[in-house]
Amino acid sequence: MNAAHPGRTTAGLGLAALLCTAAMNLHHLAWWCLPLLVLASALHLHASLRGHAQPGRWARAGLALLLTAGVLASFRTLNGLAAGATLLAAMTAAKLFEARTVRDWFVISGATLFLLLAACLDRQQLWRLPLYALNLWLVLATLRGLAGGENLAAAPLLRGAARQLLYAVPLAVVLFLFFPRLPGAFWALPGDEAGVTGLSDEMSPGRIARLVESDEPALRARFAGAPPPLIERYWRGPVLHDFDGYTWRRHRGGAGALPMDPAAHSALQFSGPSYHYSMTLQPNLHGTIVALEMTRPPELPNTYYSDDFQLVSRRPLSQAQAFELNAYPHAASREPLSGPQRRMDLQLPANRNPRARALALRLRAAASGDADYAARVLGYFRDGGFEYTLTPQRLGADAVDELLFDTHQGFCGHFASAFVDLMRAAGVPARVVTGYQGGEWNSIGSYLTVRQSDAHAWAEIWLDGRGWVRADPTAMVAPERLSRPLLDFGAGFGSAAARTVRAAPWLNGMAQAWDALNAWWQDDVVGFNFATQLNIAGWLGFGDRDWQTLAIALGAGMGLWLLWIAWSLRRLARAARPDRLTRAWTRIDRRLARAGLERAAHEGVLAYCERIARSHPSIAAALRPLARSYVALRFGPPGEAAQLAAFLRAARAYRIARAAHPADAAD
Amino acid sequence: MLSSLRRRLAERVARWARQRQGMDALPVQLLSRRLYILPTGAGLAFAALLFVMLIAGLNYTNSLALLLTFVLGSCILVGMHECQRTLQGLWLLQAQAGDCYAGMAGCVELRFENRSRQARRALSIRVPGAAPTAFSLAAGAEIRVAAAFNAPRRGRQRIDRLELATTAPFGLFRCWTWLYLPLDALVYPQPLGHRPLPRAAAGPARRPSPGRSPGEDEWAGLRHYQTGDSLRAIAWKAVARGAPLMVAQYAGEDGSEHVLSFAGLEPLDPEARLSQLCAWIRECARRDAACALRLPGLELPLGRGAVHTTELLRALALYGEAP
Repeated sequence: MNAAHPGRTTAGLGLAALLCTAAMNLHHLAWWCLPLLVLASALHLHASLRGHAQPGRWARAGLALLLTAGVLASFRTLNGLAAGATLLAAMTAAKLFEARTVRDWFVISGATLFLLLAACLDRQQLWRLPLYALNLWLVLATLRGLAGGENLAAAPLLRGAARQLLYAVPLAVVLFLFFPRLPGAFWALPGDEAGVTGLSDEMSPGRIARLVESDEPALRARFAGAPPPLIERYWRGPVLHDFDGYTWRRHRGGAGALPMDPAAHSALQFSGPSYHYSMTLQPNLHGTIVALEMTRPPELPNTYYSDDFQLVSRRPLSQAQAFELNAYPHAASREPLSGPQRRMDLQLPANRNPRARALALRLRAAASGDADYAARVLGYFRDGGFEYTLTPQRLGADAVDELLFDTHQGFCGHFASAFVDLMRAAGVPARVVTGYQGGEWNSIGSYLTVRQSDAHAWAEIWLDGRGWVRADPTAMVAPERLSRPLLDFGAGFGSAAARTVRAAPWLNGMAQAWDALNAWWQDDVVGFNFATQLNIAGWLGFGDRDWQTLAIALGAGMGLWLLWIAWSLRRLARAARPDRLTRAWTRIDRRLARAGLERAAHEGVLAYCERIARSHPSIAAALRPLARSYVALRFGPPGEAAQLAAFLRAARAYRIARAAHPADAAD
Repeated sequence: MLSSLRRRLAERVARWARQRQGMDALPVQLLSRRLYILPTGAGLAFAALLFVMLIAGLNYTNSLALLLTFVLGSCILVGMHECQRTLQGLWLLQAQAGDCYAGMAGCVELRFENRSRQARRALSIRVPGAAPTAFSLAAGAEIRVAAAFNAPRRGRQRIDRLELATTAPFGLFRCWTWLYLPLDALVYPQPLGHRPLPRAAAGPARRPSPGRSPGEDEWAGLRHYQTGDSLRAIAWKAVARGAPLMVAQYAGEDGSEHVLSFAGLEPLDPEARLSQLCAWIRECARRDAACALRLPGLELPLGRGAVHTTELLRALALYGEAP
């Protein structure tokens, strides 16, 4: 049967499935991939309608080589999800040129499923779920069409596939809950950096302002008690030490964040009020687990606490991950600053920003100490006529000088950068901290959503005796920044869509509900893992939380499902109700059977009538016209409704003539 | 070599199944005890695909990929059940093996009934070694299907096994059952031989009209169907219009009489003689000429018509066979 050709409907469904699935991969396919698929589909339809010759073997081999070269040209590799998906899509397009048989279409359907898998691996947003389901539905309908062989209509195929999906969902849920997951990966997916928005390893003027355009969530946090007040919602991301006068970088001579040495670690004092929270962190590129300041280092594998108080993951944070954390806003370190650290956080490029240096020295001379100096600089930012704007004028090489003395316009990054420069110029160790500030409280889901638009940059200075202290110059320039969401700052702050939503309360409610649904999806479905699995097993009443428990739950669930499926399919296969004609004749049969004249299974109605005629002529005489009209209605050309009605009336009225029956029987 | 191994294995399994389920008596309802199911080649390929998807999902601890894999796997399991349900409960009401000529394909006529409210599709029936016949059954429908069989030799041919299979709904599983019915087909000799038809003295001969070769017969109208008439000769268009079964008749019939004798074909070997006799009988039938047949130990008198022809051909088929 594999050499047979699928029907046109089936091929159409297959093409629809392929194109829809490719569209779900649009974000990581090469730009030429979807147009190629559309072209190949159109050519395939044209060829199958007109019966054109299809390309020969050499042409196909050439095409495959060309496409491989195209993928290499676009990605410089065949490895990785994006390049792999593009290669698969391109080869499927090539296959379309020669697809004729059911076997070819099986291959195309398999490739479609792989493309769907690639999309699932790469993007797991909730809004994609119905689209993924639609793709799967189309593929299933195609497969049903392939098995049929004949030319089937699309509607029954789609109906059958939908029914099948409904039957499959309960088992899929059981498998999802209880099929044992792996605690970690065998091999890592090469990082796909193009798709991730967020903070990075470096900060130059304007960089954070670009982030503010994005409504993408950066993290969601659920607090055990009340959430921290707005003023304490500083989410600590990468800490930047290295300054070249324009750009801040985290690295010192190429090294990343260094693990804190054990002595310093033990000197950390986590005391005062604390917040216990669980957080789902979206993928990022910098590898820092963005957490509320100051988060106590948790006992987690593959993470460490750095000497500048970052939680750093040793593995790429390429997927959303959940963390259980504790934050102590008043934590302090009593460890004195080490020599290398002090040198690093005092480093400034020579010959850059001379006017700022002069200002620093002037202010420092007037100040009584480091803390007083910092207060004076903050006061300078407060009273210096600075403007908080997303679209400041472009800055040149001496960015700090131009900001402080020429443009007086900036965003958080500009002010943090200038502040740290002034601190270092006066000999106060300081560094830039990037992260997020604030977060929107979702009252439906009772959690805090921190978005990319909450990205922020502030400073930390070292004060002898007090340790590292946070200083936020932006709070001086625009104090309302910390107490109100950024969107309230008017045009230019946040995306247009976000501002529209904020303007309409009902839209805002819907947006919150949608976000809560997304949070549930992200935390409980996408974030479902081995640990949650064991928790569910425990919740179901299994004492031991291990693999065996999961296996038992899995087996029980599958058994129940099998029973259910067998039962519901049996219901489906119940005997069809015979039509009115048959039912009418069955009544006649029953009457005659009661009189001892049973119709044999093999006997036709007319033959039966003739058999009766031999023994009971009078019964047969009454029966014969009925039998004739039954046969005419059943096997003849479609008659009029009146004929059928007349027969049904006559059949209902039929009785075996009482007088005739004993007389005949006496023969 | 692999295919012969496979065939031998299939034979063995079929023998085992026959011992297990015994001979069938009509009407047969197909119940789960006798339904066998295995994945097809495509099914195995699909299993590999699912496995790769599972590994990918597990490795990247990607819940959505796992969910996709599980939904797809579950769908395929549903499909397996559906595949079995496609045969389960189907009724075989009638089965009859038709006569045929040696070296040609004969056919077994079967009547299936689907009494359930679910359509059954992608069914196929075949006699082992012959090409399958595909069919589908709507809900509550009845259907007549012809399964071809190869008839290599003259005589009575036992068709001991029929295979009814389906690959619905996905083509990933194949569910089948073997039907063991007492089916005997009569295989007539191959109609071969170039000897002219022996002419009997009696009977007025009518010359065929000039300018027309014997093969090209003129349409001469319809007559009522008689048992034994070729199905091909039935005027199906007329049946479709609601007329009773009619058979097309062609001109070119004459009134001659022929005595066809086995002994008269002396130098040939018996099978060749039977073939020649068969060819003659067909020639007589075509011309609607009367003919008689003389076989050693059996004499059939003069006659004409489809029933008579069938009687003669059956005599040839059974010549030398145990009754």
